[in-house]
Amino acid sequence: MNASPHDRRSVLVKLVMAGAALIGAGFAGLAGLVAAPRLTRPARRWRRALPLTDVAGTGPVSVVIAERHADGWYETRKQTVVFIDREGDGFRALSAVCQHLGCRVRWDHGQTQFLCPCHRGVYDRDGRVISGPPPRPLERFAVRVNPQTAELEVEL
Amino acid sequence: MKRVAAALTAWLDDRAGIRAMRRRWLDEPLPPGTGWWFTLGSVLLFGLGLQTVSGILLALYYAPTPDHAWDSVRFITLAVPGGHFLRGLHHWGASVVVVAAGLHLVRVVVFGSYRKPRELNWLFGLALLGVILALGLTGYLLPWDQRAYWATVVSINIAKLTPVAGEWIAGLLRGGADVGALTLTRWYAIHIVVLPAVLGALVIGHLYLMRRHGISGPIERQAGVPQTFFPYQAARDLTVCGAVSVVLAGLAWYGAPELEAPADPTSSDFVPRPEWYFLGLFQLLKYFPGRLEVFGALVIPGLAAILLALLPWIDRGRSREWRSRRVVLGAFAAGVTGVIALTVLGALDRSSRTSSWSVRELAGAVLLTSGDRCTKCHRADGAAAPIEAGRISRAQDWLAMHVADPEVIAAGLREPLPSDEREIAAIGAALARLRAGPAPMLDDPTRRIMVVMNATCLGCHIIDGVGGTDGPELSKVGRLYDAASIERRIVNPAAVKPGAQMPALGGKLTPEEIRDIARWLAAKK
Repeated sequence: MNASPHDRRSVLVKLVMAGAALIGAGFAGLAGLVAAPRLTRPARRWRRALPLTDVAGTGPVSVVIAERHADGWYETRKQTVVFIDREGDGFRALSAVCQHLGCRVRWDHGQTQFLCPCHRGVYDRDGRVISGPPPRPLERFAVRVNPQTAELEVEL
Repeated sequence: MKRVAAALTAWLDDRAGIRAMRRRWLDEPLPPGTGWWFTLGSVLLFGLGLQTVSGILLALYYAPTPDHAWDSVRFITLAVPGGHFLRGLHHWGASVVVVAAGLHLVRVVVFGSYRKPRELNWLFGLALLGVILALGLTGYLLPWDQRAYWATVVSINIAKLTPVAGEWIAGLLRGGADVGALTLTRWYAIHIVVLPAVLGALVIGHLYLMRRHGISGPIERQAGVPQTFFPYQAARDLTVCGAVSVVLAGLAWYGAPELEAPADPTSSDFVPRPEWYFLGLFQLLKYFPGRLEVFGALVIPGLAAILLALLPWIDRGRSREWRSRRVVLGAFAAGVTGVIALTVLGALDRSSRTSSWSVRELAGAVLLTSGDRCTKCHRADGAAAPIEAGRISRAQDWLAMHVADPEVIAAGLREPLPSDEREIAAIGAALARLRAGPAPMLDDPTRRIMVVMNATCLGCHIIDGVGGTDGPELSKVGRLYDAASIERRIVNPAAVKPGAQMPALGGKLTPEEIRDIARWLAAKK
């Protein structure tokens, strides 16, 4: 039984289409593999922040915690800004990243509030939202006192 | 000569069919009454061509890495011949493209040109507008200055608001866990390869569809003989493009806006603002606090885009006359007014925070130039290059180390200086500011008191955002006390307010210093 030329043509059409689709899928897979972001963060660990005596309780003290950080091929010092304050007998560490769109908040001594310059987010001393667009309070980090060095450490 | 040209043309025509091609491309008959309104698309095409050429020229020098991007842009501006103009051209060219695209869109809606059978071309046009805005957004990051960095942080966080896939999209845009080196290379590739390729394909599709259906022509069909595109409409196109070029060259002559300081993820004194064509969206965000955010960021702009895309199917009547399209045109006019109003409001809503130099920065600038602390080496014929505004490229932590211990790079050159933490902090702050521009000129008494105030007052008081927190903030102390009262408080605080914690400075500072400081503070209102 001989296949008619018409059948041969339609089989060939399907083969060509399947081949082209396979090549396309290969490229798409490669693009997905390469372009996928590298999102792994290093695990949290305790980092030295500042001597205990530097936190007087008159308001949050901002500390820049720097560490070596691999940003792809580029090695840099990642700097994290943390506000440290007294809270009852203990301490509180708040992230300086506004929970709205990620701008850097600053502590206003006059108004005793954290202000975000971008879209006017306002937080109180505990990091709770007072007004403006932020959907959540400022992120809190764990703080502990290192009794040997009399320094505060923050878990980042 | 003429014979050679004719022979060459004949030879080319024989092989490539250039005469038929010319007829096909340039002799398109246009409906009678096609006029100046129909030049807007050509202006847009011209602008896109200009961006391509200026972008390629910029790419000859630009380096997309966090440690070199800012320097390479500064190099283009300062050292490449014509670089200042080139960067201005690319910057302002982007605005020309956005304006031309906007006006072209308004023209198409007002003339009802999207009606059947041109619906598909309308969609191509909207996709082009999206690509143009994406080019503006991705290009904004590349100079890697404060403005670039923070605008990108904000726009990536807006993408994060997308329901379900938000985190994934933000990750794809960032490339890494944070905005950094991987984001910069990624946006660079998107800006110079991916988007231009998509743009080129869309432009070809747009032009092909335009030619396939012919241009829509005036709202009401006019009597007369069709004119060919070349040279009649081409002359109008050239006139408008010429006028736009003159304006653009004038803007480019003044160059692009100055570079801000290099991107600094820890700074909190920078207020990010988007490019003007995103100001409307930026303003819209302010009206939707908390969990409603997604409405301002995505839902409203998304609905507007969907409505625009559906226009050819919403507005389906036969006549393109305004009278029969009142509802559609009214709604469109309201939308355009809304966009313009939001943009104007966004432009007016500037933060009150000034970017004037703080006491610490000014003190640092004075210390850099007084005595021979720095100028011993950093001078015209010295061992190191003079310190010039806009020409500081070392990283901030290197500078901090160098200021504290200059011998790190020049062992044995001289004795280490007695280090004073506050002076070192001031010099570091001044160097950071000098990256972006020169320090303000001060008279001699002010120069002196800046150094004194940095060493004395800032230990306990905040002035303009910098200083210690043991004493009250002094940024607006002039509202409370006059110069004489401030002077008494500096000489002996306890005499004015019994039990005051502040030490008497009468013996530590000279009477002139105290007088000048009091006058300076009294002016802070």
